Amino acid sequence: MATADSNHVAVDINEVTFRYGNIRALDGLSLTVPSGISFGLLGPNGAGKTTLIRLLVGLLKPKRGSVHVLGEVPSRHTASRVGYMPQLHSLYTELSIRQNVEFFARINGLTDRTERAQRVEDTIRLVDLWSRRNDSVTKLSGGMRQRVSLACAIVHNPPLLLLDEPTVGLDPELRVTFWEHFANLNEQGVTIIVSSHTMDDAAHCDCLAFMRNGRVIAEGSPDELRGDTGQTTLEDAFLYYVRSEEGDRA
Amino acid sequence: MPRYALTIAGRVIRQLLRDRRTIALIIIVPMVVMTLIGLSFPEGMVLDRIAPALLATMVLFFSFLLTGISFLRERSQGTMERLMASPVSRLDVVLGYLFGFFLFALAQTLIILLFTIYVLDVNYYGDLWQIFVFQVIIIAGAVNLGIFTSTFARNEFQMVQFIPLILFPQVFLCGVIWPVEQMPEYLQWLGRFLPLKYGVDGLRDIMLSGMSLIDVWFELLVLVGFTVVTSVLATLTLRRGVGG
Repeated sequence: MATADSNHVAVDINEVTFRYGNIRALDGLSLTVPSGISFGLLGPNGAGKTTLIRLLVGLLKPKRGSVHVLGEVPSRHTASRVGYMPQLHSLYTELSIRQNVEFFARINGLTDRTERAQRVEDTIRLVDLWSRRNDSVTKLSGGMRQRVSLACAIVHNPPLLLLDEPTVGLDPELRVTFWEHFANLNEQGVTIIVSSHTMDDAAHCDCLAFMRNGRVIAEGSPDELRGDTGQTTLEDAFLYYVRSEEGDRA
Repeated sequence: MPRYALTIAGRVIRQLLRDRRTIALIIIVPMVVMTLIGLSFPEGMVLDRIAPALLATMVLFFSFLLTGISFLRERSQGTMERLMASPVSRLDVVLGYLFGFFLFALAQTLIILLFTIYVLDVNYYGDLWQIFVFQVIIIAGAVNLGIFTSTFARNEFQMVQFIPLILFPQVFLCGVIWPVEQMPEYLQWLGRFLPLKYGVDGLRDIMLSGMSLIDVWFELLVLVGFTVVTSVLATLTLRRGVGG
């Protein structure tokens, strides 16, 4: 079922609840992500960020509420229009960089051999690993594996990217490089949803959702969040909302 | 219709081929095991009689182990989650892994068979190709059994626990060590539900009595049925969700 404004909304989450047994991972969460921006899901470990991303790629189904991605309920039919980078590197370590990227290109529907070869090359060049393309993943550093993992997520040119903590373990230089890639993709109209628990990442996003205990406690651009709270850093802004929420509860 | 099964199979094959140590072990380990078994039977006649049961057991054991552990590794490394978040269907995944692992299980089976016959000098009556074809059916069932079983294990330690649970009862109840007829009635009845019994019976009929594949149609049918059932179960239990 398509949502009414599916052309401008990449993701529409409405009152979603999800539980792992007795643990409530998402608690009536609602969120709308416009197309073509970088959207950050910020929050501590256990806030529900990974659960939310897994719902968006269709790995989990909400117990209550609705999720729409690019105007449709997430399924394997929407999967070819979504690029997913999980928290783990999730690569075939025996295979080379090129073989990994090629495999994900094929299963995401790039059937034309010439087009696929070009896309694979372009993507590996984009993450600056072309000179290492025939090396097996086992020979790569953690940062290089992150770049291969990103390449596997973007090789089929999806309009929506879901990246679960993509910058974890990256050195500052590589982190900047990643965000440059993301900005380039935004310029091409790609929507990027990034989960993170570091405020360095938050500053790069066009829009943020602060998450805690399976709920969104605040939402807006980094400037709005700082301005509304009168804080100079996003970290302080996040803590302001946490304290406000705890104050409301008390 | 599974669109990506062959793509997944190709990837599984390339992955294993690049792991030279595993390839070496796939080749060497069965030969070492069969050599030890051969040496432990100084009388050729005894080895001739037990060879069909040993062949069926080895094929089941190695194919189950290779598939179960490899499939589990896909899940623990997170690659299965990534695969399930892509447009591939569950049937694509099961068939892809079946085709991929099947090739290696086939190679391993051929090594075991040729080593048993030409190095251990086991005598047999039936056609060699018919023995091999019968074993191919056992492999298909064992590969699916490995995939199906691995969906219940969260790590390698749990998977290893399935070996005594799934393989050992078959060795004891299917006439590998002693004749089924000597067991209590209820154990004989239980044995009828285990695929290895039909593998052992069929291979014995071909190798010891010189029967053909047509003569052992019933055993073949049961093993094909077992393969279909385990394929369906593997597909159904392979959850799209995390950890599945």
